Amino acid sequence: MNYIKKIQSKHSNEFTLTIIFIGIFILMGALSPDKFLSINNIKTMAFQMPEFGIMAIGMMITILTGGINLSITNGAALSAIVTAFILSSDFSETNPIMGVVLALIACIIVASLTGIINGTVIAYIGVAPMLVTLGTKTLFEGIGLNFTKGGAISGFPDIYSEIGNGDLLGIPIPLILYIVVIVISYLLIERSAWGTEVFMVGCNETATRFSGINTKKTLMKVYLFSGIMSGIASLIISSRYNSAKTDYGSSYLMQSITAVVLGGTSISGGHGSVVGTIVAIAIMQVISTGLNILGVNRYIVDIITGGILIVILAIRFISKEMADKKMIKLRSASSVK
Amino acid sequence: MKKFTKRKEFGIILIILIMSFILTIVSSAFLKADNIIDILRNNAVYGIMAFGMLPVLISGGIDLSVASSIALCAVVAGKIMTVFDTNIVIVFIISMLVGALIGLINGLIITKLKIAPMVATLGIMTVTLGVVLLYTGGTWISGLPEYFKEFGMAKLGNIPTKNGLTLGIPSQVIILILSGVVTWLMLRYTLIGRGIYAIGGSEASAVRVGYNVDKIKVFIYMYSGIMTGIAAVVHTSIVQQVDPNTFLGYELTVISTVVIGGASTMGGVGTVLGTTFGIILMGILQNGLILAKIPTYWQKIVMGLVILIAISVDVINRKREQSKLVRVDVEG
Amino acid sequence: MKKKVLSALMAVAMISSLLAGCSSKTENSSTETQTTETKSTEAQTTETESTESSYDIVVMPKLIGIPYFTQTGEGAKQAGEELGVNVIYNGPTTADAAEQVKMLEDYITQGVDAICVAPNDAAALDPVLKKAKEAGILVLDWDTEATKDLVDASIHQIDDQELGEHLAQKLVDYMGTEDGEYAIITGSLSASNLNTWIQYAKEYMEAKYPNMKLVTDPVGTDEKQTEALSKTKDLLKAYPDLKGIIAVSTPAPIGAAQAIAELGLQDQVSVVGTAVKEDCQEVLADGSLDLGCLWNTQDLGYLTVAVAKSLLDGNQLTDGMEVEGFGTIQVSGDKNVILGPPEDYVK
Repeated sequence: MNYIKKIQSKHSNEFTLTIIFIGIFILMGALSPDKFLSINNIKTMAFQMPEFGIMAIGMMITILTGGINLSITNGAALSAIVTAFILSSDFSETNPIMGVVLALIACIIVASLTGIINGTVIAYIGVAPMLVTLGTKTLFEGIGLNFTKGGAISGFPDIYSEIGNGDLLGIPIPLILYIVVIVISYLLIERSAWGTEVFMVGCNETATRFSGINTKKTLMKVYLFSGIMSGIASLIISSRYNSAKTDYGSSYLMQSITAVVLGGTSISGGHGSVVGTIVAIAIMQVISTGLNILGVNRYIVDIITGGILIVILAIRFISKEMADKKMIKLRSASSVK
Repeated sequence: MKKFTKRKEFGIILIILIMSFILTIVSSAFLKADNIIDILRNNAVYGIMAFGMLPVLISGGIDLSVASSIALCAVVAGKIMTVFDTNIVIVFIISMLVGALIGLINGLIITKLKIAPMVATLGIMTVTLGVVLLYTGGTWISGLPEYFKEFGMAKLGNIPTKNGLTLGIPSQVIILILSGVVTWLMLRYTLIGRGIYAIGGSEASAVRVGYNVDKIKVFIYMYSGIMTGIAAVVHTSIVQQVDPNTFLGYELTVISTVVIGGASTMGGVGTVLGTTFGIILMGILQNGLILAKIPTYWQKIVMGLVILIAISVDVINRKREQSKLVRVDVEG
Repeated sequence: MKKKVLSALMAVAMISSLLAGCSSKTENSSTETQTTETKSTEAQTTETESTESSYDIVVMPKLIGIPYFTQTGEGAKQAGEELGVNVIYNGPTTADAAEQVKMLEDYITQGVDAICVAPNDAAALDPVLKKAKEAGILVLDWDTEATKDLVDASIHQIDDQELGEHLAQKLVDYMGTEDGEYAIITGSLSASNLNTWIQYAKEYMEAKYPNMKLVTDPVGTDEKQTEALSKTKDLLKAYPDLKGIIAVSTPAPIGAAQAIAELGLQDQVSVVGTAVKEDCQEVLADGSLDLGCLWNTQDLGYLTVAVAKSLLDGNQLTDGMEVEGFGTIQVSGDKNVILGPPEDYVK
């Protein structure tokens, strides 16, 4: 009990979110027990979550610094398009394995480049992240359109589809990728010196700079990380959908911001956790799949997601307010003594 | 002081001048009265919404709900016009009220529940759009009354041109100018306006000075909502139908317009003049892409690059100013 | 500790009440929107009554909430009611293939009998449709083609080539010359069906009327009427000799026609395009739009469900076969069902 209490007091937000997750899971299970709780459905969800989850982690780190990355979906689409060009080339047809390896490398390079472009303008020129990424969003979309002329690129080697659709010992490969990304992100963001700098920049960039940290470098790495995450997500997307196009995943932009904020990351930066984001993603996935199985109109799913966002944040505020009041009461009581 | 304000908008003015110069050379149609009027009319909706967004950004907030809100206002206005026998003033008032209501909800969530503006308005955006599309199924509202058509084509001035049409300032442009003037007066000469800048500069100090921060914030979001309501009617008066889906993505266009015009997403900075230039820049950009005969598949690339250059020039310019000021401080 | 759990439970309770509130609202609002279509409201009641005995047919549009797919949905639901099958008409809120795939996966898990999908992108749906086939689900595409060998039948509102060539031919007719400049405006540069029509129209023009000059690549208007309006004006300024415009996607012809009307160029510039009948009456009346054309959208939804049911009943697809509720159908190739020629709307 003591142990639980310790976790609970230290990670109260994650704890609350987890209970909400369990609650919604049980609720959905109760509403359609035979369908929602089937192994098949759980597996489907495990295939669906990673692409969105990885993108949301890429979004989260920029929000931690008080920034944002609005170009994340178009950056992902652009990397996927370049990947697709290599995968559908004659070279890949004759050497599928080499082709896939080359494509993977190219994907990460393009994704890193999108991150570096964002990072350079944000960190070194000093333009507001929202604005820069709004500009690069149009830019990346334009480049993608120029390459594809609006169409989809398909015709990949069969082996490539394993990344998004295959499983290893019954565990979906995307899920394995997702877990690896989560672990690495956790270590980098919450357990490394750079991670600490990220949080510090989010709290107060000027103060961080004056305490001798090269905030420009820190920020550059943040957007690079965000770009690479969008690249990994794009690999899963292009593999799962067996093609690449400029508007794939466009619906993930607002959704990923929602997930990050739901997970307890403060939109003004400096506060948040990887675990919180992961649980929030799981909550959104369960709501989406659960309501879909019930045959609920998609707009209602959107409305509910929006409603939940506000309700949870309101609860977070009210419970904090209550805790503060309790604290004041306790203190005033002790001072009277 | 005057020189300094001039400098602040210097970057964007420079880009507008360069672009206009190039466009005048490559296209004979660019620098003509009818084209300039077209640019203003086509961007009146974005412009009016931008003037509503400006105070929000100055206060350090953001309003993502404008696109959903304008859809709701337009649907309500369209329904009112087709169902009831009424007049243009009533339509405007009702649309503004609907906008104000959304703004009020935003404001209350932001001030009473202390939810960050971006998140609160994101939530309201999703909910409002969902409700609108669920209710209408996206179906257009058409068959708008005659008085509204007249309002849509109304012009101030009547200069005949060679192709039998007349040249004048369209009603939409007049409303655009009026909303700019009102916003300017509000920001410059009212206590609330001062309060908005104060909150954007430092919320804590604004409280200490004695501003009722919560009240001002609610006002800001309602103001944005009201402008959205006006924009909804103006938009409908141009296209003469209501298509609930047409407003998708408006929030990002409006925000980037205001920020290109020199407002900061961090708050405290921004002027009506700057926003006006932002509107003009975005308008010329859209218009120029086709006039300059830039191939379709290159247009987005050019647009992205111009936006990136515009904001970078602005920031670099401001930084240089600051370093000059620092030097003056040190040397003086 | 207790308080935390309590507040979290409260949150769940609130969410579930929200959920309950919303789902009851769906029924209300859908009744409201369809008061004119009393039939479809009845369809909903029959749906719930007869779920056990009948087929579950998923009909998925590219997205919901736009007039075109609202109307096809009405047709599909009407078919569901009349033929006694359970029609689930649902799709993503943005035209994103990724969302479509996710929803389809959910329906496959749920175990439905047939999936009829209007793909946002054919290639993206390959894996999920394969999965559906493996699960023994009947797969149809409608509105836009999916990959041929993955579907059991393909419902075409129209022959893509026929529509493209029809638009091109009509433009030449209305322009009254085979020697002039024309432009194409489109909804979105990445919409595959629009791109297909444009492609056919262009090829037809090049082959049959080599003197017709396309002034620039298709111009995107972001599915917005205002954009179509301003882009058309800009095009007329940039290319003063422009004499004709082909506009694809439903808001585009109306916006283009408005530009023509505002400039008073009804007699100089011809506009043809794809438009919903109800929405293009005004611009047709003042002569600014010369021709709008589309197909009967409700019939398309109806036909899709009717064919799906017929195939589920074990019938084989043959040309001229009788389909319950619809009548004889036209089948070309081994699985292309064609609704019919385009409907032209003129003044």
